[in-house]
Amino acid sequence: MMSMIERTIYANTQKIKDPTLRGLAESAARLVLENWAYLLFVIVLWRFPYIVADLTDTEVQPRRPTGDSVFWQSEMARALALTCLAMSYNLLFGFSGVISFGHALFFGAGGYVTFIVLNEYDASYQQGALIVVIGITLILALFSRMNVRQLLIIALIGVLLTLLLMPGEGTLSFYQAIGLAVVASIAVSLISGVVTLRLRGIYFAMFTLALAEMFWVLAKSGTFRDITGAEDGLGFRDILPESFNPTPTFDGSRLDMYRLTVVFFVIVFIAIRRYLNSPVGRVMIAIRENEERARTIGYNTFYYKVLTMTFAGVIATLSGLLFVIWATDKRVHPEALSLKYTVDPLLNSLIGGIGTLTGPVIATLGLSLGETYLRNETFTLDTGLFGILTVWQLAVVLVVGLVWWLFRRPLQTGLRRVVDMVRRDTARAATFASGTHGHWALILGYYGLVVLLLLAVGLVIGSEIAHNLEFKGDVYNVSDLWELFLGILFVVVVMALPHGIVGTWNTFWANRRVRRLEQSAQQSAPKGNNSAS
Amino acid sequence: MTDKPVILEGHALRKEFGGLVAVADVHIQVRAGSLHSIIGPNGAGKTTLFNLLTGTLKPTSGQVIFKGQDITGEPLHRRVHLGLGRSFQITNIFPSLTVLENVRLAAQALGGDNFKFWAHFKRFKQYTETAVYAITQVGLESQMHVPAVILPHGDQRKLELAILLASDAELLLLDEPTAGMATEQVPMLLEIIQRVRQTGDKTIMLVEHNMNVVMNISDRITVMHLGEVLAEGTPAEITQNETVQKAYLGELYGDFAEIIQEGA
Amino acid sequence: MLTYFANLSPQHRRSWGLVVAYVALLLAVSYVDFGYNTAGQTAFRGILLGMLVFMVASGLSLIFGLLDVLNFAQGAFLLIGAYVGYDVYTSLDAGTTVRFLAAIVSGVVFVGVLGAIMETGLIRPLYDRPVFQIVLTFGLAAVLLDLVERYYGPDPKQPLDPPGFLDNNFTLFDQSLSYYRLFIIFLGLTMMVGVFLLLNRTRIGIIIRAGVQDSEMVQALGINVRLIFTLVFVLGAALAALGGIALVPYQGATLEMGNQFLILAIVVIVIGGMGSYEGTAIASIVVGLTRAVAEQLSLEHFDAPVLAETSILLLMIVVLLVQPSGLFGREE
Repeated sequence: MMSMIERTIYANTQKIKDPTLRGLAESAARLVLENWAYLLFVIVLWRFPYIVADLTDTEVQPRRPTGDSVFWQSEMARALALTCLAMSYNLLFGFSGVISFGHALFFGAGGYVTFIVLNEYDASYQQGALIVVIGITLILALFSRMNVRQLLIIALIGVLLTLLLMPGEGTLSFYQAIGLAVVASIAVSLISGVVTLRLRGIYFAMFTLALAEMFWVLAKSGTFRDITGAEDGLGFRDILPESFNPTPTFDGSRLDMYRLTVVFFVIVFIAIRRYLNSPVGRVMIAIRENEERARTIGYNTFYYKVLTMTFAGVIATLSGLLFVIWATDKRVHPEALSLKYTVDPLLNSLIGGIGTLTGPVIATLGLSLGETYLRNETFTLDTGLFGILTVWQLAVVLVVGLVWWLFRRPLQTGLRRVVDMVRRDTARAATFASGTHGHWALILGYYGLVVLLLLAVGLVIGSEIAHNLEFKGDVYNVSDLWELFLGILFVVVVMALPHGIVGTWNTFWANRRVRRLEQSAQQSAPKGNNSAS
Repeated sequence: MTDKPVILEGHALRKEFGGLVAVADVHIQVRAGSLHSIIGPNGAGKTTLFNLLTGTLKPTSGQVIFKGQDITGEPLHRRVHLGLGRSFQITNIFPSLTVLENVRLAAQALGGDNFKFWAHFKRFKQYTETAVYAITQVGLESQMHVPAVILPHGDQRKLELAILLASDAELLLLDEPTAGMATEQVPMLLEIIQRVRQTGDKTIMLVEHNMNVVMNISDRITVMHLGEVLAEGTPAEITQNETVQKAYLGELYGDFAEIIQEGA
Repeated sequence: MLTYFANLSPQHRRSWGLVVAYVALLLAVSYVDFGYNTAGQTAFRGILLGMLVFMVASGLSLIFGLLDVLNFAQGAFLLIGAYVGYDVYTSLDAGTTVRFLAAIVSGVVFVGVLGAIMETGLIRPLYDRPVFQIVLTFGLAAVLLDLVERYYGPDPKQPLDPPGFLDNNFTLFDQSLSYYRLFIIFLGLTMMVGVFLLLNRTRIGIIIRAGVQDSEMVQALGINVRLIFTLVFVLGAALAALGGIALVPYQGATLEMGNQFLILAIVVIVIGGMGSYEGTAIASIVVGLTRAVAEQLSLEHFDAPVLAETSILLLMIVVLLVQPSGLFGREE
């Protein structure tokens, strides 16, 4: 259907006489046709407060008591900030093959650096910064192979940034503080990249983990309470400019802030997509595929990794700041530097599909909004899911499933023998098992059988346990068990679904296309029996 | 032939692994425009020598000189920019990228646009054109948009060649280009190598195990044995060389013995 | 011993020199700065910490050396060992010595079984996807931490009384110390020597060392490498658990402890050289001493003991820059 619409639209653009106009119309049409799903998604995001307001019959603007629309606005905004974090992690891990376990450092830095520079800034720092810029330029002039032009550009950018971000008198503005936070994250990326990226991947993973954990400990400790606020964190409520403050008291700015968040998300998405489709991004993907080969065709892979790391770090820093702005208590806590904000984006990238653009978006939005939706749900151990499976039955299903999975080899062999026997007998009588469809039917039947068996065993044994153990009184909260659920999901995805949701979907269609190409190639070439993995 | 300038020179190259001497003070000169083969039985040190010349291994002592410039300590990626391209014995490609993308990346490496992260890669048409030209030269144009993994082995070897061609190297170092190929496909690949050399004005150095391959196409052959150069000369000289005969006839090196007997 | 030094490669000999010089420098600095008694106390604390770190790091190093898996769950093993040990130690109805031994046995066995399940069920299927192995252990560490928090609650557990036979004090460097601290050092040394003997004197140890060099070759000799992999994983997990239980009477059990020691262990194996047993042992002591001296220094001069965290990382960065494969790592 899509292709028919396409043809009609392109046919219509051909009717335009003026060549410049025609070109414009064509590229506009292409933009819309190739990205209609994304555009639709952005429109839904943009209208999201109104959609919720219509559905729940509440106000878009905050009135006391705050309605559902207002509540979901901030939930969506927080989820979008986390999505940007996950996308930046995926850029590193999925597209470049760089395993960083210290991404939380950048996420936390967004809040901490902004606040700390705002508080601690002194006008005399400008001179110090200028000296540092000159010093760095001198060091580069002495120890690197850069030419004069490159050095001049670096010095110029340094001086300009200093003058722009660090006023010689008075105090910092909020925007300048954000700028400084970005500069800080670039500096950290460059330094840690230069120190460790030359080493084997595993050293890099360990180094980043150690670095982030160290800053977490520093942020938590009481020694620097004056600067970091220790366990309490730092409060943003008083320092946020009105236009950045989505608290219920500021009527107009809240919706604007929501829109700004959506714009930020869209920019990050486009920037990452653009980056991946640029010459640099192509090299990055090549490095992930085969780093040695990338070097032997003439790429200094080190530069590309540092560049990507810096890019990902900046995105993470900004999303960290955004997350603080939308936090209910407007505070940045040491938790923002903790492992949680490395594990979360990692998990979301994995579930959505590492090395895919949309995977982290789908997974993060789904999981964080899902958590919000289920947060106040409670359940007891014997009501369970869908009114059919009690938690006990589910547990038994899981355990039996695990056992089956651990010992699937011998079980499969046994089952296959049975299936082969059946197939031999039926093959003559009917075409059931001989054609390609028979193959699918067999697989479906096999897995269906296994699932049914599991369910049956689970139901029977689970009900027995539930009857014998009187656990009926205990009421559990979904949010208490959410982290555990995520952890188990993590393990299951790593083990069973390495490409994630989007990745598996893409692989499926790619395989089909490849098979078709292979078939056409087979007609010209004698034989091509390797299939895509 | 001997009047052409020396393009690559290995000077007193030595490589030791632990106490084992894999390559012992080897001198080798490759002249511009020639097709120079290194042959020798397994363990003769020819792959080690190859790796020393390409920079994958650092020599214990000695120098590698390319176009009069000492490149012994240069990192791998710099050598490509100087005009030194290499292929691998084991197929070494970007598996899930398409054939075109594999080759295009090699073409892009030499342009100055690698760090333009704001522009779409398809805007740099010159690299795609170079890549398409290289792919046509090796005859893979019908499989241009196929992921490289699903190519049959022989075609992957051709893809390796195309990657080399696209990187516009003056000197192509090929490590057993026919390794693992079906026998009936070998002549086709040799023909491609010949054609590349004639049309592209390139120097080719190849390491081979298979004697039949090199005898007909090489200008010069270096025979290695136990880490040392046993003999060097034109194919005719090599077939008549007595040291080579003595060293090899006694060993179970069927191909070589056969050829020498045919030549003698 | 002499043959050991005679057979060292020049690089490793240089590393030995560096280590000795560095430790001498540390001791000299602390002697000048803190005076005799405090310096001695600091050094003792450093060695104690080194022994504890070694228990986590040796497992990490062994597992990485043989299986090529960086086990981020090693900290969680320590944590579980500590909590299970704590549980048994407090809930049993017997004399302290019996309870302590019971705690050690139950903690080690529990974590060992857990390690066996993890290796066979989760890590083994991923051998052809090494990146996912790392990611998996990393995720598992988070899951295990969460499970421990869920089961034992978020509050830290107070240090317990040491078992009866160690519940006495002795005086060292003008400071009254519990014999239990000596016991930890003794335990660490025993493990150091024990694992060394296991690696060098037994058949399994020789297979393990051969596997560290080239596991495919060992498999080609007809040895069941997979079984050895599992054994080493269990051994590593059990060592970490032992470290955790040893910590309980000394500083109680907290949820942070797992990651704290994991970081220290990571620093240790990076400095010592991944997969090198002697490197791990030496680096443990070095890291312990550095940490203790830095703690004391920052306490006396800045009143900020947390700064010691940075000292360790600084040490790691310097070593990485000087010797990218660690002090006693395999040369590349």
